[in-house]
Amino acid sequence: MSAPTPDAPWSAASSSAADGYAVKLPLFEGPLDLLLHLIRINEVEITDIPIATIAEQYLQALDLMRELDLDVAGEYLLLAATLAWIKSRMLLPPDPSEDGEESGDPRAELVARLLEYQRFKEVAQELDGRQLLGRDVFPAQGAGPEPIPDAEREIEVGVFQLMEAFRQAMRREGPRGVPHEVEAETVTVRERILVVMQALAQRDSCEFEELLFEMGERVSRAKLVTTFLAILELTRLEAIGLYQGLDELGVPQGPIHIRRKGGVGEASWMERLSDLM
Amino acid sequence: MERDQQRRIVEAIILSSPEPISAARIAEVLPRCNPSQVRTIVRDLNEEYVERHSAFEIWEVAGGFQMRSLPEFAPYLRQIQKTRPLRLSQAALETLAIIAYRQPVTRAELEQVRGVDAGAVLRSLLERDLIRVAGHREVPGRPIVYATARRFLEVFGLMKLADLPALREVADLGAGEDEEPVASDAAAPEAEVLPPDDGSEADVESEAGAAPEPAL
Repeated sequence: MSAPTPDAPWSAASSSAADGYAVKLPLFEGPLDLLLHLIRINEVEITDIPIATIAEQYLQALDLMRELDLDVAGEYLLLAATLAWIKSRMLLPPDPSEDGEESGDPRAELVARLLEYQRFKEVAQELDGRQLLGRDVFPAQGAGPEPIPDAEREIEVGVFQLMEAFRQAMRREGPRGVPHEVEAETVTVRERILVVMQALAQRDSCEFEELLFEMGERVSRAKLVTTFLAILELTRLEAIGLYQGLDELGVPQGPIHIRRKGGVGEASWMERLSDLM
Repeated sequence: MERDQQRRIVEAIILSSPEPISAARIAEVLPRCNPSQVRTIVRDLNEEYVERHSAFEIWEVAGGFQMRSLPEFAPYLRQIQKTRPLRLSQAALETLAIIAYRQPVTRAELEQVRGVDAGAVLRSLLERDLIRVAGHREVPGRPIVYATARRFLEVFGLMKLADLPALREVADLGAGEDEEPVASDAAAPEAEVLPPDDGSEADVESEAGAAPEPAL
């Protein structure tokens, strides 16, 4: 963080405000961070905060943040209230009816929090100063499992998203499905597992729905459900992984993709498959 | 086996290993060689690299050896890498630091220390495998607790958690820190978590012995 002058501790923000753009907070990581900053620029001791001065500057900073159209989160307001409370306590003479710690410095708890937070800030900086893998040093890559392409833009799908995708698939199939019909065909999870793995043997990845509907072919509900169970089973065995893209906001979006998991060899899931049946 | 040949084998194994490989694992494939001898060999290799101005060195991180480029080449390598270079925000670093020293911690405890919501940061750290869910705390609500993952040690070049830089004592508060009326903090006993650490840390511990510092 830059060290602005004491009379304009938030100058970083105000200067960019002149441009009329939405302004980002001048690097404050929260109310405690802002408070630490004020303490630093006022050159006072954390353990002996001139609470009236600091509280006032703190409120000014909040006002400025609001003026700049920054979203002043509730956390900032909470600390403002705490500061006001401490300030009022400081004005009162010590209450003789309270004993021991209770009648101590009303700033004590805040001081303890600030010191603790500062400690972690320091150590965070120290960690950042290390030679970090992927930033400062890079490993010999070996011939590891193929990395998932675009891994940065994808997350593994949770069971709820998967259930939702399946529900949608079922609904899509529902109305135009064949009227109830007793079928002699028996589908087993084991057979569907093999089908899924065969589909994945030919291609890097498949779309979830594509697998369910076997590349467009009309399928029965029983088959749909069994394929779904097969996919669940394979996921549990870690033979496959389920992935979904993220939009700019980091929200999972779009079709769910299924990929073979690099780590698990074919022998392994085949073996577990035979255990299963 | 000839010593020079042994050294070349160790070098080849470390070079081709996709992740840090332990001395014990290397010793398994080297006849008449124990883990501590593997360490000696690695030390010799690193000396050799320095002598001939190599562009890389062997680090010992997260319980294993890994060949890594020297930091001076980072500006070039960042441009070559397919993935975006590692970037950790201030929020991510602070949160990681708290988790590293206080683990296992709940989200509420993290938020208490930093004074801000931790949800987004936690998600991003989890996605990057730097932290993991380490179970629940057996208190009302059974909150999830977080701990650092093995990947954290790799990225930060640490052999084990105990190698973290020392957390500066709060001198001003003296030994009384725990007695300060910071109830929420003091009320965070560390031993209550159910699932203990996974095996990886245990491995790390067992090999901690005569660990040479990463290269140099």
